[in-house]
Amino acid sequence: MARQLPRFAVLQLSGCAGCEVSLLNSTEWLYNFELVYMPLVISASNVPSVDVLLVSGGVQTSEDLYKLLRAVNSAKEIVAVGTCAISGGITNLGNRDDVRQMFLSEAERFHLPRMLPKCHPIDDYVEVNRYLSGCPPTPELFMQLLVPDPEYVPKRNVCQECGRKKLKDMKPDHFFYSQRGSPDPDICLINQGYPCVGTSTRAGCNALCTKPGHPCVGCRGPSDAFIDKNAQGWFDSIGKVFEKMTDVPTEEIQAILRSPQLSLFLFQFADYDHVNKKPRPKDKIV
Amino acid sequence: MTQLTFPISRIEGHAQVVIEVEDGKVLSSHFEATEMRGFSNFVKGTPAVQMPVITPRICGVCSTAHHVASVKALEDIFGVEPPPLAKKIRELLLLGQLIQNQATSLFIFTMPDRLDVPSIFHSLETSNISVKGVCDNIARCSLRIRKAGTDIISLAGGQFIHPIKTIIGGVSSGITPEKAELMKKELNTIIPVVRILFNHYWQLSISLKDRIGTWGDDEPTYYLTSTTPIKPSFDSSHIRILSPDGVEMETFTASEFRNYLVFTENEYSYAGQTSYKGNIMRANSLARINMTETMGTPIADSYMSRLERAFGLPTHPILLFDLCRGIELIYAIERAIEILSEPLNHDITSVAYTPSDGEGYGLVEAPRGPLIHRYNVLDGKITEAEFVIPTVHNMLAIERALTVAANRYIKSGQINLELEKAVGRVVRAFDPCIACATK
Repeated sequence: MARQLPRFAVLQLSGCAGCEVSLLNSTEWLYNFELVYMPLVISASNVPSVDVLLVSGGVQTSEDLYKLLRAVNSAKEIVAVGTCAISGGITNLGNRDDVRQMFLSEAERFHLPRMLPKCHPIDDYVEVNRYLSGCPPTPELFMQLLVPDPEYVPKRNVCQECGRKKLKDMKPDHFFYSQRGSPDPDICLINQGYPCVGTSTRAGCNALCTKPGHPCVGCRGPSDAFIDKNAQGWFDSIGKVFEKMTDVPTEEIQAILRSPQLSLFLFQFADYDHVNKKPRPKDKIV
Repeated sequence: MTQLTFPISRIEGHAQVVIEVEDGKVLSSHFEATEMRGFSNFVKGTPAVQMPVITPRICGVCSTAHHVASVKALEDIFGVEPPPLAKKIRELLLLGQLIQNQATSLFIFTMPDRLDVPSIFHSLETSNISVKGVCDNIARCSLRIRKAGTDIISLAGGQFIHPIKTIIGGVSSGITPEKAELMKKELNTIIPVVRILFNHYWQLSISLKDRIGTWGDDEPTYYLTSTTPIKPSFDSSHIRILSPDGVEMETFTASEFRNYLVFTENEYSYAGQTSYKGNIMRANSLARINMTETMGTPIADSYMSRLERAFGLPTHPILLFDLCRGIELIYAIERAIEILSEPLNHDITSVAYTPSDGEGYGLVEAPRGPLIHRYNVLDGKITEAEFVIPTVHNMLAIERALTVAANRYIKSGQINLELEKAVGRVVRAFDPCIACATK
């Protein structure tokens, strides 16, 4: 007789499936959990009762909302996984209302699930017990959520995991986006003119973008120092780092912080600015 | 009129099949995408050079293809040609995606249909095949194989789901011999695992065919690919069309696609459909195998000969899409080993460029077929973005195959319960990706 494993389910709302693909990159859960529902890999029509329900994707259609409200009753614990479930994600692209207008004008179909006016974070509708951020969270982070390692001590920010050296006397006077050149492997990307936001971004990803030379876009969200503050707190902190480490004009710094590539993620815990929602408590965030 | 609705699982994204029946006759079969992503709208106004980071988020399964197609479209606008080493690393990156995708489709999405279980995770006991020291159980072995693909994506692409290393003008860094060696080792150890699982899959497919009496009885169609005709390369430059009777009809570049491919939309799905001048066509694995002379690597070629001996080439039954995926999985592993055996850290990996405005096209062969990104750029910002999506090329073929299956299992007003399984098998043979299709 096999021992009784805790059961978990993955509810996929509107998203890219990258979170599910990431989960499939780890194998330890196979030994510690029984996966009972995940439409990407299992044919099953309803979410059965489970110990942990992971929700990925945002609430974008009437069907998403229905599925979410129905599923949460079967779960002891609800975890919002990835940028879309936490903030509505890339389809919000920050908070550009003009974009939403264009979007909806093309989105009418006869008998299909209706599109909601915006893609909502799941905690607009249900109470969330924990948040696992990242676009997507790495397999190691999924494991830290499902099968926590008691020895694990989280780092403060991406810089601590990156290990590139910050130089005092190397100040760029202009930022170029990531799409240029082969950066020096040992020197901080900000010194080399890349708008990297790793200084204020939550660690846990093992700096997988900055190590090979791509500036951090902040997909893990703000580090603990900023998570309780509003969006402006995080922005200000990044702005200050850029002011201090570069000679880039202030207007250019502000423009870069508001550009889509970063606003994808910089808004992820900040959407409450827009809807009057309180910051998520940091002890709930993995 | 009776409407039969089948929600579809074990594919990427949200979709359903709706079959309409009246007086015992099948009226129509629709494959309906029930979600919409909307990228072509909301990227308007985005600084063009940020597209390679944004567009992978269209889909976490096909992210690599979008990443590379995006960079190629911008290179087309800026008039920059990446150095040879960068091209090699991009090819490796695309092979990583192919390994991950074909392993997922074959063993996680469609193997359960052969085993008649809801999933390979669901019933670890029934799906056990044990070969000592090589494979203890299907779920664990499948995850191990697909992880090798992801590891290649991490190595050649930086981030493991939404890659970042391909940049305009090249790639941001090379691959050290030590890392290449480790990756090769991992690939070499999974080859026997893949062979055992794939042989098992092939046997199970024969049993399935014996049970249902067909490999698929739909008519031949046109075929579409952008891989090269001798030894498939996925970093493509041209699209080719093959006629139903096996004659190569056309070759064209991405910027000419509108002369050949016709896009239409409909009321019942958030995804559209493309045709070849009004004709049904198929992309994905079967199209590529039908349109290549050889795979160019020894083990993959031996499986390709086995396919040719059994069915002849070109061949058309749709369950063969899945067998072709297995051949490509092995090809991708062998070819990745070849690339990793060459120097990958000896030369420049990128060249400088000057951003400019204009229109550009980026073409790659994604696992599901030819993918094109077209951008119009003004003052450095996107004014128009068009994504020509492989799954959309297959939409008409999926619906016709569904109608064929429906007619097989709905006879004189009686619905055979096999229909639900057949619907799943038909859709999964095309491995559609709904997130992409509703870009």
